[in-house]
Parts: sequence; structure tokens; C-alpha cells
Amino acid sequence: MRALARTCGAVVFAALLAGQPVAAQDPTAGNAQGQLSVTIYNGGQALVQDIRQIAFPTGRSRQEFPDVSAQIRPQTVSFAADGTAIVEQNFDYDLLSPNALMQKAVGETVTLLRTNVATGAETRERAKVLAVNGGVVLQIGPRIEILRDDGMPVRVIFDKIPPNLRAKPTLSITVDSQRAGSRAATLSYLTGGLGWAADYVSLYDEKAGTVDVQGWVTLTNTTGTTFDQARTLLVAGTPSGQAANSRYRPQPQGNLRRAGTETAPREQLGDYYLYPLAERTTIANAQTKQVSFLDVSGVPAQKIYEYTVGGFDTMTEPRSAASVIKFNTSAKGGGLGDALPAGTVRFYQRDLRGDPQFIGENSIGHTPMGSELGLATGEAFDVKVQSTVVKRERMSPRIWRTSMSYLLTNARAQPVTIDLVQRGLDWYWDDTRIITESQKSERLDSDGTKWRVAMPANGEVTITATFETRY
Amino acid sequence: MRRWLTLFLMLAASPAAAQSVVTSAAPDAVAVSVFRDPERSEGGEIERDWLNGFALISETRTIDLAAGESVIRFEGVAEGMIAVSAIVTGLPGGVVQKNRDAALLSPASLLDGSLGNRVHIRRTDRATGRVREDEAIIRSGPQGAVVLQTAAGFESLRCTGLPESIVYDGVPAGLTAKPTLSVTTRSPAAQRVTVTLTYLSTGFDWASNYVARVAADGRTLDLFAWLTVANSNGESFADARLAAIAGTLNKVSDFKALADVPQAPPLRLTCFPLGTGRYGIPPPPPPPPAPAFYVDNEGDNIVVTAQRSRAPMMESAIAVSVVAELENLGDLKLYRVPIPVTVAANGQKQVALLVKDRVPFRTIYRLRSSPGDSFESMEVERVLRMENKEAARLGVPLPSGQVAVFAPRGDESLLVGEGQVRDHAVGEKVDLVIGESSQVRVDIVEGAAPKMADDDYRVTVTNANPFAVDFELGFHVDPDPKLDKRLRKLPRRDGLLTWSIRVPANDSRSFDYRFVEPD
Repeated sequence: MRALARTCGAVVFAALLAGQPVAAQDPTAGNAQGQLSVTIYNGGQALVQDIRQIAFPTGRSRQEFPDVSAQIRPQTVSFAADGTAIVEQNFDYDLLSPNALMQKAVGETVTLLRTNVATGAETRERAKVLAVNGGVVLQIGPRIEILRDDGMPVRVIFDKIPPNLRAKPTLSITVDSQRAGSRAATLSYLTGGLGWAADYVSLYDEKAGTVDVQGWVTLTNTTGTTFDQARTLLVAGTPSGQAANSRYRPQPQGNLRRAGTETAPREQLGDYYLYPLAERTTIANAQTKQVSFLDVSGVPAQKIYEYTVGGFDTMTEPRSAASVIKFNTSAKGGGLGDALPAGTVRFYQRDLRGDPQFIGENSIGHTPMGSELGLATGEAFDVKVQSTVVKRERMSPRIWRTSMSYLLTNARAQPVTIDLVQRGLDWYWDDTRIITESQKSERLDSDGTKWRVAMPANGEVTITATFETRY
Repeated sequence: MRRWLTLFLMLAASPAAAQSVVTSAAPDAVAVSVFRDPERSEGGEIERDWLNGFALISETRTIDLAAGESVIRFEGVAEGMIAVSAIVTGLPGGVVQKNRDAALLSPASLLDGSLGNRVHIRRTDRATGRVREDEAIIRSGPQGAVVLQTAAGFESLRCTGLPESIVYDGVPAGLTAKPTLSVTTRSPAAQRVTVTLTYLSTGFDWASNYVARVAADGRTLDLFAWLTVANSNGESFADARLAAIAGTLNKVSDFKALADVPQAPPLRLTCFPLGTGRYGIPPPPPPPPAPAFYVDNEGDNIVVTAQRSRAPMMESAIAVSVVAELENLGDLKLYRVPIPVTVAANGQKQVALLVKDRVPFRTIYRLRSSPGDSFESMEVERVLRMENKEAARLGVPLPSGQVAVFAPRGDESLLVGEGQVRDHAVGEKVDLVIGESSQVRVDIVEGAAPKMADDDYRVTVTNANPFAVDFELGFHVDPDPKLDKRLRKLPRRDGLLTWSIRVPANDSRSFDYRFVEPD
């Protein structure tokens, strides 16, 4: 009914349209979409269901479906209507252009309208198109001419558009209907160009040790098509398939420190959490739409500094440690209490005037409830690490001893905690033990060990350790 | 403590019913916090033609809301706005949804949006100048150009050799001039509200540029730094509260891609072949111009701080009336310009970042090598060494940047070195490499002198200056017990075993050691 106004406008052209070969739904009828439901997955693809009212005649008829997504995957189309059976489905992309029109006119007769450049007088004649090969060869009565070889103005007027030339790629379905009458027909298909991710706004309060998290779903439509008043469902997951290539999947980057084992109070479909939008919404072409889905304040959060020394190296300059904000998503014991769909977490912190300032961002993968997240926001200006190889000694042909010293400095006015990790303990077939260390470390795995060091305000700490490596 | 939001507020879904559109044209007040290009190497400069930093912009705006559902369109925002980062606070009814619409009005989208609609085709007679408009319906999409249905039949546009053009009756719905951010809200009553719009924007960058003026006695220097801010957006931010943030923050999203204005596809009118080639398919139009991320090289360089000292430059520091104020922001450093300033479109601005006078320093001539290396007449680095401590008249965070060092010559001040400085926390030693010396050179010879074996090395440092110099040679070597005691006993500096020596004026010094490359 929305299209009514535009249709009325086109009535003026009724006479023109009479000879029109375009079948079923005419483009002048405006948006032909029916009741839309759109289910959007993370990987940039969506399932569209479009219920249209179609007047079927009895027997075989060809139905065209304009206003489907311009990035439709036509091979995924399915169609259902009461009392009909599908004969065939077609996706035609022979597009209408002046050149295509001329090519299809070979052997046909067209009208030439010549304009005299001196007087403006028009003369009209009929011509047969003989060939279109690098130039248009015409037969006008007994004469053979090349179109506009003299550069003079000529209007070429075609009598008709061949039926298979279309303005846009067109989906059509030929059905066999048992009875005539208007009824609902359900068209569903997959399309690329519609995706979503989450964007989180996290306000970190360093003094209180809390973080306020607002979550927004961000929908992106690059299909070239507007989806009018669609019921929208977002699926936190990427079913494997064409658009779900693993390289597009956000990498967790070690941000998920411990995977949770709790189930969030959200609707689920198999392994995926569902985020339905409560109202129908119009997803316009080239639009990015954001809708809030989460607002939690006062989640306990700790800041910790982390630095990983990759091997037994001497650093000539100190390097900054990463500042990492840790919180958990558990519903129990002061967590955020929800599963988090994959996306970008942007951290803010208030300055002395109380204005929020951006302090860095990180990405998360789909995070189950009860998980522990550790998100690096950046490098600390004031917390630095410098490692030195103090001694490297060959004990026997296969045994080496390396003495390391790590100088940790804190120029902040508050005491801080740093996790210092030494990696590279297990290259190939070697095996490394710690002989002595100034503070007990926690062996993470065969390749790394970690010291959690409490650093005084405006102070420094030196950690030393001796490693024995057998090759 | 926590509340759950259903995705939309539960109001009757009456699409677009009684929805009023409010346009907020400009902010009342604005704050701009500029972040450095996170990818830039330490001490790197601003790339004025392609600013890779960003800014957090916070605007307050006054908006008159009607009762019920309204759509607020924000205009006058930075064109580099990253819409997904936008936060709108202060709306009594909250934010139902935020949209960034980027379907742009262009010749191609106008044609595409008018497909199947009635337009007019205007033809001008070259002979008589008579203009004729005929009604037509567009039958083809924007790819491969235009086929029109007219009263005469089906025709193509601009294949005739006649001056002709399509005249549209209106703009199709949903097309905008620029990408536009809008929010939908539901206000309980008609009222005037003050909202805050906060967003990240590309097209900004800042750097610190240090100027060190060495005193006549060569023992202290006056350290001064400019805070240089650049904006390549087409919008100016008048009377803004400006801040710059130093430190390295993590960035995972592609800000430029998020802020990108989608390229409007060009409309190419193609025809069937004309003539025998002379009037063939018109060549494709030139590619669209590159995105407007350039800055005029003559761009305004506004210097907030004025009056230069009249005394000879090396005698006293640059006089400034406004210096940025430092505060800690978590693990970053925030420099606030204490007065409102205008951040001009396509402009660069400088404000004093820090001023430290009479900072004691030492000049060190430095070389680093491996003990197994040998070479002749190697030039050495000139290093200005300071202690970033209050006792040494410094003791402030030093954000990374370029350094220019000037020394006095009579009444003038001449450039004697340039270098880069990394981020230095308070308490760190600052080694500023400002160039190389050809007056102080190093030879390392292996087994040359009489009675020297193959694995014996001799380092000789020569000083052609009429003054004594301090020299340091740092060895890249992991000390093991088999290492020559003469090396092993050297003290460590910057993690390296370092031979330090004072070389008198016009003299040389040497150091012998033995080194066997470990197997």
C-alpha cells in the first residue's frame, strides 16, 4: 500500500505502459517487499524471509521478485505458497543498456530521427539493424549505412525492450498453481552484505576498581538494498559457510583468560545466543545501526601490568609493560553476569575534570558467561621492564646455564602489580629448569614462567633467576 | 546495581507514526582530545598529508524535543567521525537506536533511485537554441547507462549527438549529502535538553617537538617543547577545550575504514558503437579525486604563545605565557591547554608543552659493537645525557618526539644536532642521540700490533677536539666464564658491558682484550 502514491503518479503513463513487456510486478510499483524477517549472523551474512501476497492464476505462471537483496545468493532461494508447486527458479542478470539493446536489435527494425544541425528540422525513417560489430551497420531502404558515421545527430528509437533484458538482476520462479487467488507466498534466501558485531563502551574507574559496561549491537548493511520494517534477529555466531571463512573470525588474542561455564539468561539456538530486536526496524542501505543490549554498572575490575620477555635477551632500553584491565563475566560473586557477543571493547576513564577520555580498545571473541577477561588497553608510560643476561655458562656439552636479571620500575605514585613472564624456555627438544630465583615463579607451561611482582610506588624491584637448559 | 535492557523499549510499533525529525546543526561547546598515531615510530613526525592519529571529541548541544518519538540528526560533526563509537547522553528518554546513514546522493544513486519513475528529458536544439522537455521513464539501472522509455519508444541517453539531459522531479528518499549520524529517542514530554555527543574521529594527530638550547658554558641546556596539533577535517572547532594524550594505547579496529565516506560509484554513460570508431564509446570519466585528506602546505600555523625573548636566544628560554598542564590519565599522560583555543580545519597549531631551564647534561661519545668486530676510523654517536629527576632540574614525563639542539655562536644560536626521544618516565636516564662525530673515531684492530695473537684485539679511540671527551664503548656479548676477564669485569651500562674512558684533548686512548668466538 505504501506504493500506492507512486503507482498513481504513474497512471499518467498508462498509455505508454500498455505495450510494456515487463510481466508481473512493475518497477513503478515501488518497494515490492512484503513482511520481512531478517536473521543476521556475525560473518556478514543473513537469512531473509519475505512473505508477499501474490495473486496466482490457475496453472503455470512466472512470478518475478524485485526488491530482494542485491547480494542475494540465488542458489539458496526457497519458495513456498499454499497449493503451488515449483517448476523452476531463475536468476537472470542480462542487464539492459543501450549496447545490449542494440545487440538484441540485430535483424529488427528501428526508427531513426535525424536532426538538421542548421535548421533543427527533423526527418524520420525506418532502418533495419544488420550487425553490431565495432559499429552499427544499418539498412535503410536500399542503402547500407553505418550509424552516425558522419557524426551528425541521430536519435535511435527502439520499438520494444526484449523481455529478458532487465534493469537489475531478477529472481523469478515459475510455479504450478492448483487454484487461482491471492495468497501469502514465503520467499527465503541467504544474502551477503548484512553483518553485525558488538561495540562495548566501558568506563573504568581506577579508584573504585570497577567498570561500567554498555553493550551495543552494530548492524551493517552494505547489500545495496533497504529492508523495510523488518523483524530482526541477531545470532551470536558464524555458522560455517561461504561468508564464515575463519580469517574473518575475530581472534581472541589471549583476551579470554579462562572460559566460563555458566549459561546466560538469553534465548539460545543450539550453541548460539540470540538477540532479537523488540520492534520491527528499517535497515536502510549503507546504514550502520546500533541498538543497546546490555547496561551493567559497577562490575569489579582490576588493573594489572604484564610484560613478556621473549627469550634470554639483553635490552639496552627499558620497555613499557602492557596495562591490562581484568574482569569476569560471571553472574555470581560480582561479575558482569552475561555472555558477551564478539566485538570491540572501548575503554574510557574520567580525567581530573570528570570528563571521560578514551584510554584504548581491544577485541573479544564470543565470551561465555563466567569467563575471565584480561584486555590490554595500551602500554604504561610509567611502568617499565629491562632484562639483562648477567651470565651465560656452558656446564657440559649439552647443558647451559643462563642468569637473568629483570629491572622493574614504577614511576607511578601508587603501588602496582606486574606479571612478568619469561618465554622461550622450550624451543625444540630442549628443556629448561629454574635453578635459583629471587622470588618464586609460577611455571605456566614448558615454555614459560611467571612472576607476580608487587612494586612499590615510585620504586623499583629487581628479579633475578638462573635457568638451566639441556639440549 | 545492574539493569537489563530489552532491545527496544516496549512501545507500540507504529512505524514512523508521529516521528519528528530534529536537526542539531552545531555544538554549543566542544572538547577535543588528540591522540598520536599509534603506529608511528617513537620520535616520528606528524605526516601532515595523511594524519593517522585520532581524537575524542565531546560536544554539548541544545535540542528542543517534541513529546513522543523523535529522530535527532547531528550535523556539523567532524567528517572523520567514527559513528560506532558515538555516545549520546542526556536524553530523558534514552537512545532507542543510533543510525549512520551513508547512502549518498550522487548522479548514479539519483538514477538508480529513480528507476521506473517518471523524469523529463531535456533536449536543446543547437541550431535554434530551442529547449524541449519530454516525459520519459527510466528503464535501466546505473550500470551500462541509460535506456529511457519515451512517447516515441525506447531510446538511450546521450548516444544521439544531441545535447540532452535528464531532469528529475525529486530526490529519492533516503539519500543524504554526507554520512549522517542520527539517534531515535522517545521523550516523555516536549522539552529543551542539553545532550553530550562523544565520538572518536580520524584526521587528527599530534607530536611533541623539543628545542634544546645549550648554555654558553656547555653544561646546562634549556629544554622547551612544542605541542603540535594537526587537524585534517573540514570542520573547525572554535573555542575548544584542547588536550593531547601521550602514551601508547591499544587499537584493534580500522578507524579509517569505519569513518570512510563510501565512494559514490561514478555514473558511466555507455552507448552502442557509434560510427566506425571516430565517435565510439566515450572514454570512461577520470577516476574520482582522492579523498580529501590533504592539508594545504600553507595551512595556518597558529601560534598561541607569542612574545619571543629579545635577549640573545641562548641566554634565556622562549618566553611563553601559556603552557599545557599535565595530568595522569590511568597509564597515559594528558596535556591540557588551559585556555580555549580554536582547532582550525586543515590546520596545525602549536602550544608550549613544557619548559625546563638550566637542565644539567653531559655529552657522551658512544659506540656499540660486538667484541669480535674490527674496523677502522668508525664515527661515534654524540649523546646528550640527562637524568629525568627533579634534583637534576627535570623530573617530568617526556613524551616521544623530535629534538633540535642549538648552541650559541656569539649572539646567534646555531643548530648542532637533531634526534628523536622516546617516551621517558620520571626517574629514567635520558640519552639523546643527536648525531655522529667525525672528530672522535674508533679503531678496533685484531692481532696487528707486535706480539699480539689472532684473538687479541686493541681498541683505540682518537679525539681531534681541543677539549677532553667522555667515551663509552658497549659490547654486545653474553658474559660466560671463559670471556676475557678484562671484558668480564667491565661495568654494565644500558645492559651492555661498557668501557668508559675520558680522552684528553687532541689525544687517544686504547684498551686491549682477547676474544674467541664461542662455538
